[in-house]
Amino acid sequence: MALITQRVDVPVIVDESKCLEKCTACIEVCPLDVLAKNPETGKAYMKYDECWFCLPCEKECPTNAITVQIPFLLR
Amino acid sequence: MSNDIDSELNQWLEMLQSSDLSDRLVAVKSLQYLGDEDALEPLIAALGDESLAVQKLAVTALWELANPKAVPALLECLASPDLEIRAEALSALGELISPDRLLLLLDALHRDDLNMQLNVLILLRKIHDVQSLPYVLPFFESENAQLREAAVTTLRYLNQVERCDRAIPLLSDPDDSVRRATVLTLGHLVDSEVVPRLCQVLTSDLDWQVRRNAAKSLELHADPAAVVALELAIADEHWQVRKFALQAWQKTPDNRTMPILIQALTDEYSDVRREAAKSLAALKNPAALNALQQSLDDPDRDVCIYTQRAIETIQAATKEISNA
Amino acid sequence: MNTQWMKTDVLIVGGGTAGTMAAIKAKQANPQGDVLILEKANIRRSGAIAMGMDGVNTAVIPGNSTPEQYVREITISNDGILNQKAVYQTGKLGFEVIQELESWGVKFQKDAQGEYDLKQVHRVGKYVLPMPEGKDLKQILTRQVKRHKARVTNRVMATRVLVKDGRAIGAVGFDVRNGDFVVIQAKAVVLCTGASGRLGLPASGYLYGTYENPTNAGDGYSMAYHAGAELTNIECFQINPLIKDYNGPACAYVASPFGAYTANAEGNRFISCDYWSGQMMLEVWKELNSGKGPVQLKMTHLDEDTIAEIETILWANERPSRGRFHEGRGENYRTHGVEMNISEIGLCSGHSASGVWVNEKAETTMPGLYAAGDMASVPHNYMIGAFVFGRLAGTNAVDYIADLEHIEPDAEFLEAEKTRIYAPMTRPNGVPHTQIEYKLRRLVNDYLQPPKVDNKMKIGLRNFERYQETLDLMGARDPHELMRCMEVHFIRDCAEMAARASLYRKESRWGLYHYRVEYPEKNNEEWFCHVNLKKDSSGEMFLFKRPVEPYIVDVDIETEVYDVAVR
Repeated sequence: MALITQRVDVPVIVDESKCLEKCTACIEVCPLDVLAKNPETGKAYMKYDECWFCLPCEKECPTNAITVQIPFLLR
Repeated sequence: MSNDIDSELNQWLEMLQSSDLSDRLVAVKSLQYLGDEDALEPLIAALGDESLAVQKLAVTALWELANPKAVPALLECLASPDLEIRAEALSALGELISPDRLLLLLDALHRDDLNMQLNVLILLRKIHDVQSLPYVLPFFESENAQLREAAVTTLRYLNQVERCDRAIPLLSDPDDSVRRATVLTLGHLVDSEVVPRLCQVLTSDLDWQVRRNAAKSLELHADPAAVVALELAIADEHWQVRKFALQAWQKTPDNRTMPILIQALTDEYSDVRREAAKSLAALKNPAALNALQQSLDDPDRDVCIYTQRAIETIQAATKEISNA
Repeated sequence: MNTQWMKTDVLIVGGGTAGTMAAIKAKQANPQGDVLILEKANIRRSGAIAMGMDGVNTAVIPGNSTPEQYVREITISNDGILNQKAVYQTGKLGFEVIQELESWGVKFQKDAQGEYDLKQVHRVGKYVLPMPEGKDLKQILTRQVKRHKARVTNRVMATRVLVKDGRAIGAVGFDVRNGDFVVIQAKAVVLCTGASGRLGLPASGYLYGTYENPTNAGDGYSMAYHAGAELTNIECFQINPLIKDYNGPACAYVASPFGAYTANAEGNRFISCDYWSGQMMLEVWKELNSGKGPVQLKMTHLDEDTIAEIETILWANERPSRGRFHEGRGENYRTHGVEMNISEIGLCSGHSASGVWVNEKAETTMPGLYAAGDMASVPHNYMIGAFVFGRLAGTNAVDYIADLEHIEPDAEFLEAEKTRIYAPMTRPNGVPHTQIEYKLRRLVNDYLQPPKVDNKMKIGLRNFERYQETLDLMGARDPHELMRCMEVHFIRDCAEMAARASLYRKESRWGLYHYRVEYPEKNNEEWFCHVNLKKDSSGEMFLFKRPVEPYIVDVDIETEVYDVAVR
């Protein structure tokens, strides 16, 4: 099977300057489990484009590092 | 397994003492998720953290623990200089406050702090205790309009209070929001001047929301003495006043109002037209049938349905009379 | 790959509304018993009320309405097809649920006198109780689960119920983060996995832009089916009037007590009741097709303060990103109606009537297997019904297991299920689950979206049957992708059930939910019955009529017909 990697505009944006390396608050609350830590930087990022724009990640972030946009297709 | 939890708890408690702000943020957030009662005291202590962000998370964490022991400490947060902390603490206390904390609240009401006083007045509504009345009344004369509004609103929630003439002068308050709240509170009071004063406000206040609220309160009173004022209000310039005046009128239907009701059947606003149809149904006067027939093709389905029902009600009532 | 073995007395699959309540009640019934909630997300924020709820739709509060009145209203709005005894439970126990939730700190709207501030949204009767501060519902439930010492395992997804000797004896699944194979032995299993909310494809084309929490992929419908339990009324789809593109509720039931209403493009009402029903959806569909659309939720006639209050409630609860959506389009309730659209189809008894068959004790037809919440067939059950049936399932499961021992699961079955689950991992370069799912759900739209056409549904059915082979092309690279792959299996099962049940019932009923072009009329003579389905002994899907249970509240369904548009 031939596969390609496509660019996608993702809804969850993490401000890396604010994201705390020891914190996993957003990752723990995401119902779809789409957030993960970048092993190189220790910062959270949206690993899978499967977002219900439900906002717990944004609300639970202790440093307001997360912004959730409405997914582009619905925006 | 319980060892795991203990070690996890201890790890976060230790981190909560760190000099590094990020560590304390992570710690307080983690303690919130862990929900372990043993974190109660350290979280209360964290309400005094130098960082407002840590303080706010500590409020949230204590809220989730829902331990009434945290109430006095959370109450202090109502005077925080930070708006978000005050709002979070108010929400938390709204859930945690219980009637046995009345004295604590009344005590806080004496504190010379606007935010504390405002928030405590709001919390008193959760308790519904008439004992707080003497402590609430002085705020009617406060120089601060927010406090006057909060106090007269709280009065509405003190169930056993039936009369309170000290609230009536607030009908002439210079602040619109105070008058709006006062008028609603008077819907629940039975002092003899209440209905005449509500009628006066209904037809003369310059703020339409005060007039609308007066109609709502008159609906609760259902006093035939209000009919004349309500008739005037059915022709008010604001449609919501017209709508709620019609609803209040339905409590004490009066045949003399019929021409005004028929006029209201062609109002610009569908809600008013629907209330007019319901009012004519309440009147059961066959003289309204012609006008109602014309409303049957109203573009609004709801108006059609209520017009049809009005016609049926009137016809049934007429039949009963002729059969009798 | 590791295998984790767990053992519990009562296993609850899904920690949402019904599941958390089932766990709490099971622990209350027997504090010594072991109760385990299995949750594929994290129970703090999972399920339909992950972000709270702005109101209760079906509150039967003494002094305002009675359980009998409630049963009547649901009987009429569900066109007579229901088990009244089950619906009666929601009417009877709902008030206790509300009181218990309140004692835990959940806030319902009360008037100044401290009375429940109920609103009328249904055709008759006041059943809607706003909860403007409902955003923390899930944290409160989580706290109670913790206080009652029920165990929780997050991030594990169940794939099959274990059955032996004709009863449910546990479940099997996998850890969606580390990939462990998980086997749980239990004396009773309660399925509370929510709706089948990822069945049709949203018009936006975004797979997860659904009305339901997209984690609710019909897991329980499929698991109950494969366990051998009966499902019912699957042809009574869930179709909702939603904010176009956003695909979330505009919450007319929240806004209508403030004076907002559903209107056509001219701003006139065309229905008299904003309560969601198939009959209402049919009127919306007709209005859209009559050239008087688009349909909108109209608030522009309201004043600033009222609109601000509506916004505060709508933007804090249930779907808080609504405000952001409108803002992004430069739209505002003050100047714009909210454009509404007919949603894609789903299965959900919380709103309509399709689900796993349960009786008034939350028992399915499989001993030891219980179901509650959106997936359990109790019509129009909403959130309070989910709590009530969670409660019934938890309590009755504890009774049921009193003299039972654990049974060893069948090793052969476990091995086969392990192979089935992990197959996509053996094909890391297989077709991505996103493409497989997109096509499947697009086919659901093409062939099952009402009005239902005989020939189209037959083509759809053929496609869904053949899709078994397509699923074998699917590849996964990590346990997370594997979770989505297994969800596609559930979706396919639901699509096949939806097609077969819709073809089987040869009449129209429930407004748009089951509107068949070839059989446009309701036919009580032949079809006043449930359509149930189950897996027969040969592994085939078997459909049959199940008579409607005798009514306990008298309703003449010939004369009392649900109508939202006729004078």
